[in-house]
Amino acid sequence: MNKSELPFLSAGDLSRLIQSKEVSPVEATEAYLDRIESLDHRFHSYLTIMREQALADAGQAEQDIASGQHRGPMHGVPVAVKDQFWSKGVRSTGGSRILADFVPDEDATVIAKLRKAGAVVLGKTNMTEFAITGFSHRYSTPRNPWDIDTYTGGSSSGSGAATAAYLCATSLGEDTGGSIRFPAAWCGLVGIRPSWGLVSRYGVMQGVWSMDTVGPISRTVEDAAITLGAIAGHDSKDLYSSTEPVPDYRQSLGGDLNGLKIGVITEFMESDLVEPAVRQSVSNAIATLGELGATVEEVSIPLSMDAGVASAVLLAVEPALAQQDWIKDRIQDYGHDVRILLLTGSLLPAQAYYKAQKLRTLLRQQVLDSLEKYDVLVLPTSGRGAQPREEDPPITSKETAGRLAFLFTRIFNLASCPAISVPCGFDDRNMPVGLQIGARPRAEETIFKVAHAYEQATSWHTMRPPGA
Amino acid sequence: MADLNKDEIRAMGKAVGLDIQDPELTEVMYSLNALLESLDAINPPGLNDVEPLPIILPPA
Repeated sequence: MNKSELPFLSAGDLSRLIQSKEVSPVEATEAYLDRIESLDHRFHSYLTIMREQALADAGQAEQDIASGQHRGPMHGVPVAVKDQFWSKGVRSTGGSRILADFVPDEDATVIAKLRKAGAVVLGKTNMTEFAITGFSHRYSTPRNPWDIDTYTGGSSSGSGAATAAYLCATSLGEDTGGSIRFPAAWCGLVGIRPSWGLVSRYGVMQGVWSMDTVGPISRTVEDAAITLGAIAGHDSKDLYSSTEPVPDYRQSLGGDLNGLKIGVITEFMESDLVEPAVRQSVSNAIATLGELGATVEEVSIPLSMDAGVASAVLLAVEPALAQQDWIKDRIQDYGHDVRILLLTGSLLPAQAYYKAQKLRTLLRQQVLDSLEKYDVLVLPTSGRGAQPREEDPPITSKETAGRLAFLFTRIFNLASCPAISVPCGFDDRNMPVGLQIGARPRAEETIFKVAHAYEQATSWHTMRPPGA
Repeated sequence: MADLNKDEIRAMGKAVGLDIQDPELTEVMYSLNALLESLDAINPPGLNDVEPLPIILPPA
């Protein structure tokens, strides 16, 4: 295979060629680095390229594999990681000017685990500032490869752009309120927010402590499964890291959906926030799940449309406390929308935070009750496809204060449940649409099974963005 | 509930050691009022009967 074609392979296919020694990790890494060098000025997906270290790691992987020490499906596979994660000896900004010169002396556990699995880290990806809003970028705003004039979604915006533009084989993002699934949906990718506690948060810059989760943004369900398999598992440095064993998620891929029960959350499907073309794509996807053997029924989760407000309170208050010294001393160093968010979070009354947590309890119970009856819940990831890039506008009224009402991801963050977004079509501007599939805690295998069955029954994942 | 005005927002800021001035003051006023108004409107049955979500304990 021509070296320049290697970046267009899925991570799974590349992994198999590396394992069979038909492709060397050095070739693959060089191919991605060449693409990054020649194309990323269009996409602004990386903040730091780790060329020398990546080539050294790829060389080591090549030697190890040649000597019969193949470590698994991520060995030799080039990946990109969000700049929200500490990387030893490499600048880790969290997307903020405040940490422009921060160089950690150790890796976040997710990066350490990727390295242990033999993955080759290409660089650190762009993101919204501290991953606490959907829009504010302090370095540059990533471009969506499906239409260079539109936004990728955030906060893992660079991971979305890099993966969609074939500037890495797979990537890591972080999802507190939807920051993996949002860019996955808008960039035509697969993104999974794992169960809280499955993946260590050590070395991950904090958003909301009980909702922060690290997970993959990938081009296929298999890629997401092998990436998650590499980073999941217990970490003694994270008090709330699960001690349960991590299955091989690839074992859940394949087969039909006979016997599976799917609940379609009516509040989201019927919402005015869903554009007709998005609703049609998601409805078609749900019909396909039925044709694959699943039983599909409608289910009501009364508090689901209030998830945005409850999570907005948590997303304002908790970062404001974590960053209170910078807020007092360096408020003008923040970008506009993060500055307003953190000041708002600093002033929210304790009663508001307390009420939001009580709402979370009720919402979580409604979600878990539904998941007693259904194996998975489905809904649109976002009510809209990717929107045009825009400057960070001032808030001129109460009505303009909330900009992400169309994002339907937060229900699963509040409920501490895993959820995936998979491509399910295009809107009337030919921008990708995402189908969201959520399940009960630690049911990632069920999610992968459903997502993979749908993916294999359709061709969305084979389509290449015109900008890439 | 009545919206908070700029003087009240400024006073709340002072209470937590923040000197909030325009243009941020106006935007924080809109942002805070919008959140409080939205939250105030959500009163599902059973809200007073539940505890806020407790710490999610690691599995035994």
